[in-house]
Amino acid sequence: MDQLFDVSLFNSALRMVTPILLAALGGAICSRAGLFNVGLEGLVLFGAFFAIVGNFLTGSVWLAVLFAVVCVMLFSLIFGYLSIHLKANAIIVGISLNFLALGLTSFCLRAIFHVKGAYYDKDMKGLPQLDIPLIKDIPWGGGVISGHSPLVYLAIILVFVFQYFLFRTVRGFRLLAVGENPVAAKSLGIKVTRIQYGAVLISGLLCGLAGAQLSLGQVTMFTENMTSGRGFIALVATMLGQSNPLGVAASSMLFGFMDAVSIRLQGFSMPTNFTNMLPYVVTLVMMFFFKNKSYVQEARKANESSR
Amino acid sequence: MNISKLKNGIGALVQPVVAILLGLLIGAIAIAIVGGDISQTYAEMWKGAFGSFYFFTNTLSRATPIILVGLGTTLAFRAGFFNLGAEGQMILGGLCAAITALYLPGPGWVKMIAALISGIVAGGIWSAFAGWMDAKFRMNLLITTLLLNYIASLFAGYLVAYPLKDNTGSAAMAQTKMIDHSAWLPKLFHGMSLHAGFLIAVVGAVLLFLYMRFTVSGYEVRMLGSNPLFAAYGGVQRGKLMLYSMIASGGFAGLAGAVEVLGTQYRYLDGSLSTPGYAWSGIMATLLAGSHPLGTVASSLLLAALQTGGMGVERNTEVPLEIASVIQATLILFVSAKISYSFIKRKKARAQDGSVV
Amino acid sequence: MLLNMENISKSYGPVKANSDINFTLGKGEIHALVGENGAGKTTLMRILYGMEKPTSGSILVNGKPQSFSTPADAIKSGIGMVHQHFMLFPSFTVAENIVIGQEPGKWNGFDRKAAVAAVEELSRQYGMPVDPNQKVESCSLGVQQRVEILKVLYQGADIIILDEPTGVLTPLEVKELLVAIKRLASQGKSFILISHKLQEIMEVADRITVLRDGRVTGVVDAKHTDIEQISRLMVGRDLAQMQRSTPKLGAPVLEVKGLTMPGDRGKPLVDGATFKVHAGEIVGVAGISGNGQSELIGAIAGLQAASSGQVTLTGQDVTGAPVRKIRELGLAHIPEDRYQWGAAKDATVVENGVMGHARRQQRFGLMRGRSIRKMVEGWVKRFEVKTGSLDTKVQFLSGGNLQKLIAARELAQGTPFLIAAEPTRGVDVGAMEMIHGELLKRRDEQGAILLVSSELTEILKLSDRILVMNEGRIVGELPSDEATEEQISLLMAGGKRQ
Repeated sequence: MDQLFDVSLFNSALRMVTPILLAALGGAICSRAGLFNVGLEGLVLFGAFFAIVGNFLTGSVWLAVLFAVVCVMLFSLIFGYLSIHLKANAIIVGISLNFLALGLTSFCLRAIFHVKGAYYDKDMKGLPQLDIPLIKDIPWGGGVISGHSPLVYLAIILVFVFQYFLFRTVRGFRLLAVGENPVAAKSLGIKVTRIQYGAVLISGLLCGLAGAQLSLGQVTMFTENMTSGRGFIALVATMLGQSNPLGVAASSMLFGFMDAVSIRLQGFSMPTNFTNMLPYVVTLVMMFFFKNKSYVQEARKANESSR
Repeated sequence: MNISKLKNGIGALVQPVVAILLGLLIGAIAIAIVGGDISQTYAEMWKGAFGSFYFFTNTLSRATPIILVGLGTTLAFRAGFFNLGAEGQMILGGLCAAITALYLPGPGWVKMIAALISGIVAGGIWSAFAGWMDAKFRMNLLITTLLLNYIASLFAGYLVAYPLKDNTGSAAMAQTKMIDHSAWLPKLFHGMSLHAGFLIAVVGAVLLFLYMRFTVSGYEVRMLGSNPLFAAYGGVQRGKLMLYSMIASGGFAGLAGAVEVLGTQYRYLDGSLSTPGYAWSGIMATLLAGSHPLGTVASSLLLAALQTGGMGVERNTEVPLEIASVIQATLILFVSAKISYSFIKRKKARAQDGSVV
Repeated sequence: MLLNMENISKSYGPVKANSDINFTLGKGEIHALVGENGAGKTTLMRILYGMEKPTSGSILVNGKPQSFSTPADAIKSGIGMVHQHFMLFPSFTVAENIVIGQEPGKWNGFDRKAAVAAVEELSRQYGMPVDPNQKVESCSLGVQQRVEILKVLYQGADIIILDEPTGVLTPLEVKELLVAIKRLASQGKSFILISHKLQEIMEVADRITVLRDGRVTGVVDAKHTDIEQISRLMVGRDLAQMQRSTPKLGAPVLEVKGLTMPGDRGKPLVDGATFKVHAGEIVGVAGISGNGQSELIGAIAGLQAASSGQVTLTGQDVTGAPVRKIRELGLAHIPEDRYQWGAAKDATVVENGVMGHARRQQRFGLMRGRSIRKMVEGWVKRFEVKTGSLDTKVQFLSGGNLQKLIAARELAQGTPFLIAAEPTRGVDVGAMEMIHGELLKRRDEQGAILLVSSELTEILKLSDRILVMNEGRIVGELPSDEATEEQISLLMAGGKRQ
């Protein structure tokens, strides 16, 4: 077991956790504002793709990240417009958005890069890996914490930023109010739709970062449907963490760790089919501990008499 | 009364037609961006889908699993359950059908029937598992069905890569042995790919339509999806109905897998059911048709035509076949805005009825 | 005058909700606004509070014309509203609920300590005690009401609109509220009080404006009027006196023994309820809403589980039985909340009408479409349900029309036992009389009816026997010809029967 649990495992776990964590924070902000964002998966996929496109177009990693973020925010606006403005069923809009992401990215992959399935350029530079002075010299912990892409550190900082935002600021307080009782919030003159759009845009921003970390931080390439369910795992992390940034961070850590373990286990002459299954099985098992709202509660909310 | 029915019918059609036009418009923009000739591309798409009897039957046979999956999803959505696990249910259905046809002794037609049934059962059980977890432990069905897709696909991949692997041929592919010719689903036309599975799908659609429309339990399913509290109040047993509708829904998906294996592939090949995206197309077809069984047939045909047409586009123009996915996705997105359309109608109607509050 | 609303009209399509309404309010005045359901009170107040735009007319505050497009504008002009359904955030604290919208703090930071201090100060100033750190979901309804009023005061309102403020309060809480209103008025605040409880209005109001069908039918000084005059202005005619024959009691149809249902906080929601309903009688259950009536009905109808006790229907034990079995044995049920339990909004009139009848109207599992349509069509005609067609989705029906459809459906089940919970909530007077008549007819045909209503007048008018519930217990049982409103009110509040 020494071979399994070593420094590099935890190091890669921290790396794998980042896209899930960023997306899950996005999901948490949306759900705090009263929107169930099933489109996380698609938004992250967009992010991954546009980060590569940005890199290809500008040659700069930082402009690429910015490009990805801006593009994903635009797509998140589609989700916002349909579900907030037109009051379409957010779940169906989210599912459709995932279809759009899959279709559009594979189309653009062909149209822009003229390849099928995956795009890889050996000259393309990924996100730099920061060696943090002092910390990197700490025996075990240094090896885990140091040497990641800046987005990894940004994700960790954002956890605390959002924790502060939601529970210590007026704007965060109003966002919580909108999610808790939109009718009451509206009666107080709080701009409900504006806040919800804000939440959707923030989740777009975060998913853009998540995608960039996926395609520029972990590897430097884009493959079709490369998110492979991470967006949905992030959704579970959101639910498990009760949309509380610290809780979301904890549950994302678990899933990222499982991702890392699953990759590591491939080196142990186990069938890859089973090692690949691990993150999904663990997610499923973790769902046992999170009780969904009962259908009675949900139906009551959906059929409230005050129309 | 009949006029209002007719109006409703036309109203229900306006939305998808507008969505299709918008989808084609976005597609045209995408074609223009990649420098293709719009009219030529769409002409090739039409030819690829319906250009000859061969292409036409090809489209129909591609639509077959999409219809079946779509019917299963339709039933689940109508009952109010977001079953997104069609892919896993289909894979297990196909795998079990292949295993049954391979290892069950007996004459060909017995193997075939048994294989179809085992496909239905496998899909149904896998789907019911998610339903059970929701009913018993309140685990979000939408997410569990999705996660179960990955597990089913990896598990099936393992089986055909190791214990059930076909070692007879020279190719080292993860696949089962080929099913005996006698257990294949018969072809409808000589030399064409279209097989009897298409008839099964169409009959299934008609039966589901009649069931939802005219039977008491179909009525109960619809009410359950519409307002579960109202259904409970009226004596509908949610738990039972949920389990049954999930079984049926997964059964349709499993049947789709079985039909595809017995009619087209003749073996279970890893990835052969998931790569063409049948399951997701089926879900899209359901969304497109607003969970109407017969509408699902129509929208499945549309999606299949886009896909086979896309292949035609790929063969004969510079535009990549993924153009079909773009059109499909925009279609769904526009259709999902439907609720807003009926929302506007509601406002108007309310003003007419004179209810104020 | 502090507030002038001049010639306010509001139409929704062809329907005029308000026509040419004039309304004034002076400083320190308590002005009551009364009228039947649908008379246009709520619309008028929504216009004043910036939630609706008037079709024509003007609003002047302190003599200056104002145009409100959102509640925020109204709040800025010193107008505050306490809605009938409280606009609170259950998981937030009392202080958070009061300061929301004008949170204290610097740099967008939310200073919760300052909020608590401000609320404590406010609560002292106006003599309305609250615990700022308590979560609202654990507050009693009376305290929630207080939180709503403090919120409005915190926002700096001089004009306070109270929409049906006493509906959910116990009589003691109502007394406290009325005292508080009077005190605030003497401190210079002005009130618009919407209510249909004329007794309470006579107690506090200075002036009374009566609305009927969107028009003002009278503005009277409270000192120079009486309840009879106001009722006449409200209804426009004298109500027909319903004649009740003496009941001919049959065998017991429903027997409830020691029914107990657990609650969240250790206190049972229903506590040892025991009673019988016989064929040929209407038993009324009175109580302030939230005292276990909903749960009691839920348990009898099979929608909620009881922890102990027994329910027997037509001689068979149905405790914990599935709804279908109970219905087959003889239950029909007009539910308390028509949108949550009583209907599926996006289903048609026919589909909503056939619930509970479907299993009877079938052959080989198929629904008998034609005879079902005929049946529903009959109800629509008889109960004058206004609907576009039988295939109209019921979300397009007004609340009153939907209620009529539901009542018709359940009366037509033809079962020996009927639960009628708030059977006339939100329907107009004509429909109310009709539903009442149908209920009495059913009783005369030897039906057993359990009537649950928060309207005492309805209970007194229809019931042969009255049960009073308080905090989950049945605290009193009186024959209706002996019962008085005062007596029941006292029992509802938890007092002893004299």
